[in-house]
Amino acid sequence: MRHFRAFAPAAVLLLAGVLGVTACGSASPSSSPAAGGPVGGAPAGPAGQLTLYTSVTQNTVTAVLDGFSRLNPGIKVTVFRATTGQLNARIAADRRSGGLRADVIWGTDPLSMESYAEQGLFRPWPLPGLTGVPSADKTTYFWGTRELYLVIVARKGLTPMPRAWADLASPAYRGKVALPDPAAAGSAFAALGYFATAPGFGMGFYRTLKVNGAVQVSTIPEVVTDVAEGRYQLGITLDSEVRAAVGQGSPVVLDWPADGAIALYSPIAQTVTATGQAGRAAQALLRYVLSAPGQAAIGKTGWQPVLPGISGPPRPAGATEVHPAWTALFGRQDQILRQYQAIFGP
Amino acid sequence: VNPPRPPRLAALRAAGTAAAPPRAAGTTRRLAALRAAGTAAAPPRAPGTAAAPLRAAGATAATVLLAAGVLALIAALVAVPLVSLARIAADGGLTGIGRALTAPGAAAAALHTVAVAGAVTVLAVAAGTGLALATQRRPVRFRLLIAGPLLIPEFVLGVAWSQAYGPAGLSDRLTGLTVPGLFGPAGIILVLAGHGLPLAYLAVGAGLAARADPALERAARSAGAGGWTALRTVTLPLLRVPVLAAAALVFVTAAGSFAIPEVLGTPAGFATLPTLIYSDLSLSASPATFDQVTVLALAMVVLVLLVLAPFDTWLARLAPAARPEVPPAPAARRTAGDRAVTALVWGYALFAAGIPMLTLVLTALTRGPGLAPVPVNWTLANFAAGFSGGAGLALLRSTGLALAAAILAPLLGGLVAGLARGRWRGPLATAVTLAYAIPGSALAVGIIIGYGRWLDGSALIILIAYLAKFWVFGHRPVQAALDRLPPGLTRAARISGAGPGTAVRTVVLPPLAVAATTAAGLVFMLAFHELTMSTILYGPGTETFAVVIMNQQDLGGVGATAALALVLTAPVLVAASTVALAARLARRPGSSWWSP
Repeated sequence: MRHFRAFAPAAVLLLAGVLGVTACGSASPSSSPAAGGPVGGAPAGPAGQLTLYTSVTQNTVTAVLDGFSRLNPGIKVTVFRATTGQLNARIAADRRSGGLRADVIWGTDPLSMESYAEQGLFRPWPLPGLTGVPSADKTTYFWGTRELYLVIVARKGLTPMPRAWADLASPAYRGKVALPDPAAAGSAFAALGYFATAPGFGMGFYRTLKVNGAVQVSTIPEVVTDVAEGRYQLGITLDSEVRAAVGQGSPVVLDWPADGAIALYSPIAQTVTATGQAGRAAQALLRYVLSAPGQAAIGKTGWQPVLPGISGPPRPAGATEVHPAWTALFGRQDQILRQYQAIFGP
Repeated sequence: VNPPRPPRLAALRAAGTAAAPPRAAGTTRRLAALRAAGTAAAPPRAPGTAAAPLRAAGATAATVLLAAGVLALIAALVAVPLVSLARIAADGGLTGIGRALTAPGAAAAALHTVAVAGAVTVLAVAAGTGLALATQRRPVRFRLLIAGPLLIPEFVLGVAWSQAYGPAGLSDRLTGLTVPGLFGPAGIILVLAGHGLPLAYLAVGAGLAARADPALERAARSAGAGGWTALRTVTLPLLRVPVLAAAALVFVTAAGSFAIPEVLGTPAGFATLPTLIYSDLSLSASPATFDQVTVLALAMVVLVLLVLAPFDTWLARLAPAARPEVPPAPAARRTAGDRAVTALVWGYALFAAGIPMLTLVLTALTRGPGLAPVPVNWTLANFAAGFSGGAGLALLRSTGLALAAAILAPLLGGLVAGLARGRWRGPLATAVTLAYAIPGSALAVGIIIGYGRWLDGSALIILIAYLAKFWVFGHRPVQAALDRLPPGLTRAARISGAGPGTAVRTVVLPPLAVAATTAAGLVFMLAFHELTMSTILYGPGTETFAVVIMNQQDLGGVGATAALALVLTAPVLVAASTVALAARLARRPGSSWWSP
């Protein structure tokens, strides 16, 4: 304290300033425009407001919202885009501080969306009249907007190329296969979810992979980088990542398994907090995303649109797809992950 | 203070710093006594230090106000987010907490976290101390080489190292050499120790400059001690405080690291608490999982508390001895040992900063991953991709926020340091560190729960998060500088006729300014490189550069991510120059660099 006696008054002033800044918020909640109205639903005005929470990649969100805004100039859209984990953190924090602040949530995989639905965050799907979305890609609360495909990425020039998923466990590729950590993202988990429940695979497939020297790496993009750099020769990753790397000239090729790429759908839903005008704005967005122009925007950014007949990225002739049994997987992630980690853990 | 000094303030500063040697001179006969002189001159025993001015009229009211203010700050920045998280953790009741702690992998992750952080602390502090001892007489520019690794943002460090030293990495392609065990605990410890070394070095090096009085060492030598004995019995004991303080910071930093164990630990299935918390958050949106995440985040706080609280109490008991400062001795003639040290420092800087940085540059310049990093494959497309959209504006925002944090954190740290005396010192230091121990994602959640109702998506809420997280870096350096001000300095100035303002301006602020500048530089760098909190807290119009980086990472834009990471190093170079400037100032007698 001895040196502080002299400038304690200044210190006290500084303190008051900093605390004042943090306290003024807590002291005068009425100064916030959002606090008075329904939480998340923006105050009613001539121009509607809409808050979108999403984990969809930035370029796709931008492309879709550009088109949406041209058709709906009166609706101002606020976007919070983050990874699935950060989105989960944000939503959990919102719910404990006045309520969810989103009107629409557009996720990357059905598993986290199902969890939101179970928590009562979604309205039942508000536009049952829309057509074209396959029944495998919808639930009572959310509908798919695009398909993501888990495929094999191979290093250019690798011979022989694997033909089907089971080939990854072949001794020919001992120590050459990279798998994305299924605990790090829902899209990576989709592969585990599919194999764990698909006939002919099961956890035994992962045991064989492990014995064969397959290595788990941290993320789906890292699988592509690792294969491109030659650290591994093969890996499981998303089709769009491979196409992007091929486009940059990276020495990798997309190898579509003969028994079908693993498809996961990216769902969208209206939240319970979107009421009144915000609710109508939310439904306008849902309708646009599942319209031909919205779907075309999705296709142009490298993803397969969910509606048939709208062109997406090129796929090999005769390419097929398989679907994880989503409803059987809901709520079982922990259990399946634990079995997997018993094999690929330390 | 020696009474017969001329009553001029400039001289007083010198008098203040030169007050101790006579005390030491009286004890030169025995080394044991020297050690006592070096470490035991704590204020309670030194006459006329804290007690008298405290009792002075007028001071009491200000002190009470200040204490109330500091407590309110701790409540606002530490208690609010922590209590918010604790309430979530309590949602699940004792069974929920028990389930979270006994969940498969949780105990192993906790053990890994402590083991890794412990090993990193031992390695980084030992190497940092050794280098500090070996380079104390070297020019500042040379010593800044050792801080080089701090340039690389932590979030690309794991990737940079694996591309530099992993299989098919740069060194593998050029020389066929890889770092064995890079993907696994050994690699994590190596990279974290390489990155933690500069923190330890800065702390210890500064402590050495300010505390190890060459007169004491000379006295020891003339009393018959060999070089090693003098080091062991005089220099190292005097360094105890900065070494322990460095260890505390390195430990908490290593325990909280996410990006490095994520990239290097995943192939070995090696999880730490931060990576477990991340995967729990990513994989499940269920409330039960979220409760578990908060329990684990609080477990990290408890772990750090268990290590840090006794530590800080011990430090508080050791620290407040005003140490004599002596102008650095003139550079000695270069010996073979010095040349070996030069080679070592260059080798370290090249290994831990130069080559990883080079891989980052090459990745940013090369068209796509896996292409040979040769001119024919070079492009600026990655920079263009990274800077499409609002990246420029986001960069400005991040710079502004980091600057605000860099200015405020040392001020807030100074308040705590000014108050933290006696038995409050240890607990206050620990309290200020706690928010740093919470993983960024969990701290952001705590901050939203505390302030989101009113400040949701504002720049202010991001600033609050930065201040909470990096307060420790604003506090400890300033605390250290205050510790070294000789007792009674302001009183002496006042007796000599200076008004209170003049006394503070001329004898207290100059040395504090140096520590505060260093603290500001560190806070700026950490806030500028921070990737997690602002990507959860941002709102319309407050997108930070971290948001831009995360978007690129999500798109799998390896080159663009590297390009953006490189952009982050540029202002840090500026900050490093500030530190260099501070260091230059520090070499003036009567001021000090950083030693928490």
